[in-house]
Amino acid sequence: MVPEPEVRDVLSELQRLRARVPLLSGALAASTDGLVVAHDTPGVEAEGVAALTAAALGVAIRMTEATGRGGFRELLVRGDTGYIATYAAGRSAVLTLLAEDRINVGRLHLEGRRAGTRIGELIDGALTRADRPARAVSGPQPPAAHHGPLPHRPTT
Amino acid sequence: MANTEAALKEAMSSIEGTTGVALVDYTSGMALGTLGGGKDFNLEVAAAGNTDVVRAKLRTMEHLGIQDEIEDILITLGTQYHLIRLLKTRGGNGLFLYLVLDSARANLAMARHQLKRIEAELEV
Repeated sequence: MVPEPEVRDVLSELQRLRARVPLLSGALAASTDGLVVAHDTPGVEAEGVAALTAAALGVAIRMTEATGRGGFRELLVRGDTGYIATYAAGRSAVLTLLAEDRINVGRLHLEGRRAGTRIGELIDGALTRADRPARAVSGPQPPAAHHGPLPHRPTT
Repeated sequence: MANTEAALKEAMSSIEGTTGVALVDYTSGMALGTLGGGKDFNLEVAAAGNTDVVRAKLRTMEHLGIQDEIEDILITLGTQYHLIRLLKTRGGNGLFLYLVLDSARANLAMARHQLKRIEAELEV
């Protein structure tokens, strides 16, 4: 779980993103196993989108691995009336954006990648801090092998 | 007839003062090809940003009821000219050429003339 202060930071990042990018109708940060971290998605059920994002992400990661394309970076799906874009956000989270059909996809990518990096830093930082004391006292970690974690980024 | 790569190369080498050129799809805001630019001038960012410029102008014309088309758009900065030229050739619908010129070295009239020629010869 991501601590409350970081969840607020992530949410304000999502809200800023939606204010800045026209035709962006929803933004949501989710863990790679499909739980919502923060969301600003009026009219859309965030829990469902987060769960589907995790499923799509699993396939996308296997696709990039099977074809020798390295780690997962982003996923773009286009429907008749809009786009769904998912960007890697650090080691254990992703950013999913819902956009209308007329959106400037070039700009969506630029802003989505930047926001993904920032949200990744926030969540990774929070989890690293939360993990340290927890690992010292807790027993075995719950199995997470099925979720196909995002590739490790070197942290300096 | 020239393909995208050849047209970008020709613009870069034959138009005096050019520091960057891109062929951009303004339905998506993404560049089909870029040449020049560099670390301090990201042509992908320029492609996305100038897509908004083109879309805004087209929308304004529509609101004004002007039944016409954009031939080109000139943006004059302190030290640069940015030239946007919409494609009219077959298969070029929804695309524009974007040219960045150093205003100290460029001849604007000549650049516009040459870009028009390159656009006419470009086949996407």
